[in-house]
Amino acid sequence: MGFYKRNRLGTITALLVMCLGAWVMAFPYLFAIGSSFKSRSEFSTDKFSLIPPRYQPAKLWNRYVGGKHDPEHEAQLKNWYPTRNYVEAVVYGGIDRFLCNSFIYALIVTSVSLFFNMLAAYAFARMKFPGRELLFNILLATMMIPSVVTLIPQFLVIQKIGLVDHWLGVVLPSFAGAFGIFLLRQFFLNIPSELENAARLDGCSRWGILWHIIAPLSKPALITLGLFTFMGAWNSFEWPLVVLSNENYYPLTVGLALFRDQNTQDWPRILAAGVMGSAPLIALFYLAQKFLVGGISLSGMKT
Amino acid sequence: MKERSRIEWAAYLYIAPAFLLTLLFSLFSMGVSFWTSLHNWDAFAGSGAFVGFANYKRVLFGGDSVFWVALRNTTLYVLMVLMGMLCTALPLALLCRKAKYLQGLFRTLYFLPSITPGVVVSLIFYQLFGLWGQLLDKSTTALFAIAMMGVWSGMGYNMLLFLAGLNEIPADFYEAARMDGANSFSEFWHITIPFLRNTLVFVIVMTIIGAYQVFTSVYVMTGGGPERSTQVLAFDIFMNAFSVAGQMGYASAAAWLLFLVIGVFVFIQMRLMKSRRIYDE
Repeated sequence: MGFYKRNRLGTITALLVMCLGAWVMAFPYLFAIGSSFKSRSEFSTDKFSLIPPRYQPAKLWNRYVGGKHDPEHEAQLKNWYPTRNYVEAVVYGGIDRFLCNSFIYALIVTSVSLFFNMLAAYAFARMKFPGRELLFNILLATMMIPSVVTLIPQFLVIQKIGLVDHWLGVVLPSFAGAFGIFLLRQFFLNIPSELENAARLDGCSRWGILWHIIAPLSKPALITLGLFTFMGAWNSFEWPLVVLSNENYYPLTVGLALFRDQNTQDWPRILAAGVMGSAPLIALFYLAQKFLVGGISLSGMKT
Repeated sequence: MKERSRIEWAAYLYIAPAFLLTLLFSLFSMGVSFWTSLHNWDAFAGSGAFVGFANYKRVLFGGDSVFWVALRNTTLYVLMVLMGMLCTALPLALLCRKAKYLQGLFRTLYFLPSITPGVVVSLIFYQLFGLWGQLLDKSTTALFAIAMMGVWSGMGYNMLLFLAGLNEIPADFYEAARMDGANSFSEFWHITIPFLRNTLVFVIVMTIIGAYQVFTSVYVMTGGGPERSTQVLAFDIFMNAFSVAGQMGYASAAAWLLFLVIGVFVFIQMRLMKSRRIYDE
């Protein structure tokens, strides 16, 4: 009895602390969403409220249920339609274009790098060739190089190829990565090779095996890796900032920084743009979360 | 059997695209970086005179160099983030297991910052720090504020890593300990910590390596100010190489010096990867 009581107390305390933590995590998002619906004047006078003043429950209740029409409140409602900041972020900031760019970059990076990494991973897992261990170890070593050292030379290389300020220059350095190869190779090694041997006896080529046997079996790993690659590409900031100068090619992250500089006084609009920029990825992860169970525990999955 | 042991030359075609690209943008790039650091590189002319180690000398001892200030700030930032991370991620993982309900919700909420672009997080916190007493405008609190944001962004992800580690501890150990009358602290100290050692070291090393390269939050929130109190190395390198300064050689030298600092931790991580099952299995 005493044991159970202590246990239950522990659970309740843990729940309370976790709820507090959840509030700490959620608060900045609620603040951003709430602020993105405020008018400029509302934001400057009432920064703290999470609900825009004109939509405060008491006021709405008075208006719609009580039937009392406060002239000041009416004016507030009239000169600021709910989604105005969002519309303005698109019309004046071109956020839709940045979103589109980010989407295209992330999609290209994800598909190409999955393809290249898969080819390499399969060869390292199943094929026999001189220098296999050495080449694989070299690849592993590249994983240890911090991006801050490669930023400048990467730019010089891209400059040499003539891809500065070109969309290809943004995505090219992410077309392959040691981490993806490593992860997929681990996964491929765990697939029993009997399946393949049978297919080989039936005259199936390596290429055929990779696409018809290995790829379908590796779906969970491919989806997890694909999601994290997509996320990495979507969130990347420093590299596109360095390599691009034409605003038309900006991805969302760089576009947002630019938008902030152009609208320094208009924070509701900036935050609306920020909400638009984060929503797609959050939605994507929400939809895909059943594939991600255990994905994180593949450890170090952050690109 | 004979079929399988034959050398397949086609393998080189399979690995070529990924291998060459990775090499070009990592090892080869590092060589380029070192070569650049020995030259007085002019980004516009695309060439420069060989100057030996003069760039390194300027970074380390030059009168206009902010390297030491930046190194001090970055190290302070790393320490604050590391402390904050250790004080939050593991306790949160333990609490998340103890709180039997709502675990899915907690996991999702705590993971959110990992899938939010750093620029957006920085913009939101720029406003929040403004509301909470102009934290970013004072040279005494700005770096601390940025570090707190770093902890906020990373703790959920690390919590998930710890949760994964905790799930691998066999329940029998705890039962046996309870039989022996162990209290929860000695359970934690003698079972949880030893089992989590690998995860713990992994989180610490990755946090350090990541935090030494902090850039986005500084770029968006403070630009190195006020009074250089948030001048960090990655930002300094970026400014020297790509802003008005355009001093690629000088910036490359600074990057290499930062790499030496990070290199210590990279070395630890490599040793770990070799000796323990952090990645494998």
